[in-house]
Amino acid sequence: MTTTEQEPVLSVSGLTIDLPRNADRKHAVENISFDVAPGEVVCLVGESGSGKSVIAFSVMGLLASALQVSRGSIKLQGTELTELDDDAMRALRCTRMGMIFQEPMTALNPVMNCGDQIDEVLQEHTDLSSAQRRSKVLAMIEQVHLPDPERMYSAYPHQLSGGQRQRIMIAMALILEPVVLIADEPTTALDVTTQAQILQLIRELQAERQTGVLFITHDFGVVAELADRVAVLKQGQLVEFGTTQQVLANPQHAYTKMLIASVPRHEPPVRRVIADDAPVVLQTENLAKRYVSYGFAGANNVVDAAVDVSIEIRRGETLGIVGESGSGKSTVARCITWLIESSDGKIWLAGDNIAELSKEQLRSLRRKVQIVFQDPYRSLNPRRTVGQSIIEGPMNYGISHREAIADARELMQLVQLDPDGLDRYPHQFSGGQRQRICIARALAMKPDLLVADEAVSALDVSVQAQVLKLLEEIRDRMQLAMLFITHDLRVAAQVCDVVAVMSKGRVVEYGPARELFNNPQHEYTQALFEAAPGRHFEFAR
Amino acid sequence: MSATIISEESAESVELVDQPSIWSRLIRHPSVVIGGVLIALIVSLVPAAPLITTLDPTDISPRNRNKPPGFETVHRDDEGTKYTVVAHMGTDKLGRDVYSRVIHGAKVSLIVGVSVALISISIGLFTGMLAGYFRLIDAVVMRVMDGLMAIPSILLAIALVSLSGASLLTVIIAIVIPEIPRVVRLVRSIVLTIREEPYVEAAISVGTPTWKILLRHVLPNTIAPLIVQGTFICGSAILLEAILSFLGVGVPPEIPTWGNIMAQGRDLFQIYPHSIFYPGIFLTLTVLAINMLGDGLRDTIDPRMSKEI
Repeated sequence: MTTTEQEPVLSVSGLTIDLPRNADRKHAVENISFDVAPGEVVCLVGESGSGKSVIAFSVMGLLASALQVSRGSIKLQGTELTELDDDAMRALRCTRMGMIFQEPMTALNPVMNCGDQIDEVLQEHTDLSSAQRRSKVLAMIEQVHLPDPERMYSAYPHQLSGGQRQRIMIAMALILEPVVLIADEPTTALDVTTQAQILQLIRELQAERQTGVLFITHDFGVVAELADRVAVLKQGQLVEFGTTQQVLANPQHAYTKMLIASVPRHEPPVRRVIADDAPVVLQTENLAKRYVSYGFAGANNVVDAAVDVSIEIRRGETLGIVGESGSGKSTVARCITWLIESSDGKIWLAGDNIAELSKEQLRSLRRKVQIVFQDPYRSLNPRRTVGQSIIEGPMNYGISHREAIADARELMQLVQLDPDGLDRYPHQFSGGQRQRICIARALAMKPDLLVADEAVSALDVSVQAQVLKLLEEIRDRMQLAMLFITHDLRVAAQVCDVVAVMSKGRVVEYGPARELFNNPQHEYTQALFEAAPGRHFEFAR
Repeated sequence: MSATIISEESAESVELVDQPSIWSRLIRHPSVVIGGVLIALIVSLVPAAPLITTLDPTDISPRNRNKPPGFETVHRDDEGTKYTVVAHMGTDKLGRDVYSRVIHGAKVSLIVGVSVALISISIGLFTGMLAGYFRLIDAVVMRVMDGLMAIPSILLAIALVSLSGASLLTVIIAIVIPEIPRVVRLVRSIVLTIREEPYVEAAISVGTPTWKILLRHVLPNTIAPLIVQGTFICGSAILLEAILSFLGVGVPPEIPTWGNIMAQGRDLFQIYPHSIFYPGIFLTLTVLAINMLGDGLRDTIDPRMSKEI
C-alpha cells in the first residue's frame, strides 16, 4: 500500500535529539529520517533504549523537558512542528494527530467515565452542542466495536477489560479524524487474543479513514501483521528502513538479521526423548487454589484461581504452562514453590506429599524447588550486593561464608557473568544480566526443580534468546526439571518438552509440545494459536 | 556448557553505572546545605552556652526589670564588686537576661526535638514493621493506633502534668504518644509494598527465616523515608514543646526554654516585645532549618517522595 506519489502526512528528516550530559550516550536519536503516507502503517521497531518512544513523543510535542530537538525537522502535512509553540501544538493534538499509549489503565482518568473522556476531546476542539457531541461519541464507540455504546459511555475505566479500555483510547484518538495516529506499543500489555482484535481494529479504521499510522513496537510478529513499511532502530540510529516484505524476508543490516533470528519460531523443534524411567521430580494431583473474601454476611466472593491441576515433571524435562493473564498459571507456580498455600489437592515432591510434612521437613525440602521471577528489576534487593543475594540461601542451610562465595563465583561464570560482579549492586547491571543473577541465585540452592515464572517476558528479544539458551544449557547440564510459565507461545514452543495450556484456572490441553503445537485439539488452544501475530511470515513459522 | 560462548551482552562485562554518590548529591542541594549549617550553629550553642554568656539564665535582678535590648545592666558578684553586662536582648519582667535565657534554652528545645524523633521513630518502626508484615497483628495494632491518633497532644500534656507534675519527661511523653501512629502508618504502608516485592518472595523460597527477612530486606528499605520523616517530627516536636511551655503545661517555668521565655513575656508583650521576639526568632529559625534539611534529604535520598520528580 506504499503510496509514494502522494504527499506524506508525516515526514521526519534528520531528526536529532540530545540527551542530558550525564547520560550513557550523546543523542537519544540521531539523524532519523522517514515519512508516513496517508493510509500507510509505518512500524518503528527496536529494543528497549533504542529511542523509538522518544521519536513518537517528539512528534506529539510531549518530550520531557530534559530532552531537546537539536537538529532536523518534523513536518505534519507541511507544517513544521519543531518550531510551533505549546498552544499551537495543543491545537494540533487530537485534531490532526492522535496518540494511543501502552497502558490503557493509566492513560485513562479513573474518576471520569469513558464517554466524558472522549467527549472532552470534542469540547476542547469543536463548537458542537452537547447533544451533537454525545451522538458523535456514541457513534465512535460503536465504530470501535464496543458492545452497548450507552452502557460503555457511562462505564468507568476499571469496569472495562484491558482490550475494551484500549478501544476507548482508540476512539478518543480517532474521533476528530486525525491524519496521523501514533501508537506507542498499544498491544504490549494485552493478551494475545485481545491483541489480534485490537490490531485488526486499527487496520480497519486506518484503511477506512486513510489515516497514516506510526506504530511503535518491539514485536516482529506485530510488525509482520500490520506494517506497510518498517524502520529498525538501534540505540538511536536508524539502521534499516524498507517495506515489510524487504525487511522481514531479506534483511540487509546485521542488527536486523540478528533481531529477526532471535524471534522464537512457532514450530517446536524435535527434542531429545526423555527416558520413560526418568524419575518424576514433581507431581500435582487435582491441585486447586480458591480465594475467598469475607464480608459481613460470610463468604461473599469466591475466586477459583486454579482448579484440578494435575501435572507431572520428570528430571531433565521442561514442562511449559501456557495461558493468558488470569488463567491461573502463576497461581500454580506459586503453589508449587509454597509461596502460597494450595487449598486442595496434593503436591508430590520426589515422592513426599508436602501437605503431610512437618515445618522442619518442609524447610529442608524447600531448597529443592527454586523460582526465577518475571521482573528482573524487582527480584533483587537494591540495597544488597549481588554476592549477598546469591549466598543468602546456601548460608541459611548452614554452608560457610567462604564456601558459599566460592560457589557463587562459579555460578557467575556458569551464567556467563564476571565473578567480580559479586561485589556490585543490582542497579549496575542490565535487565538481562540481572535475570542471569536471579538464575544463579536459584541454582545456588542446588534445586531439583527450577520454576521460571515468565522469566524472559520482560527482556528484549535478543537478550531473551540468550537467556533461554542459558536456561536450556543449565537444565541439561544439571539434569534439572523445569517448570516454565509463559504467555508467549513461541517461547513455549522453543523450550518445552511438554505443554499444559491453561484457561480460567483449568488445564484445557496437556501433551508433548510437538504434538500439541502441530495439532491442537481444544478450541481455546486453537484460538490462541490463531491469534499469534505474524504466523504467515517465514521467520515466525 | 562451553564457557567460550560469550553472549553479546555479557561480553560488554559489568560496567559501573556512574552515579554521583549520595554525599556529593547532598552537599550540592541548597536546602540541605543551608538547613545543615543553621542546625550546626544552633546545636553548637548548647556546649558553647556557658562560654558565650556571662550571666546565669535563672538569676533574678529586680533593679534590671524590663530593660530594652542593648541596656547596660549592673550586677554584683559574690564579693560585692560591681560589674556591668550589656543585655543584648534586654531583660524580662524579673530582670533575667533574655540573651542568656535564649542561648541556654536551645538545649531543651533540641533535647525535646531529637528525643521525640528518636523515640517515636524507633517505636513506630518496630510496630509498623510487625503490622505491615503480619496480617493478624495488623488488624489489632492499627485499631490501637487509630485510638492513639485521636488523643490531642495538648490535652494529653495537661492530663500528664496534672498527674505527675511538669517535667521534661512528661513533655516528651506527651508529644511522642500522638506522634507514634503517624510513624506506624508510614512504615506499615512501606512494608506492605515491600512485602509483595519478588526479592522478598525469593528470600522466602531460599529458606530465609522471617526475622532475617524483616532485618535484611524490609528494614533497610524503610530507612530513607524514615530519616526524612524524623526531621519533620523533630521540627514539629520543638514547636509543640514551645506551645506547651507557652500554655504553662510544659517544662517547669524556672528552666529556660523558648516557650517559657515567651510565656513569661506574654503579659507585657505590647510594651516590651523583645522578650517574645528573640526566642521567637530562634524557634522559627530552628524549625525552618530542620524542615529545609528534611526537604533536601527527601529530594536526595528518597526521590520517590520528591515533588520535583
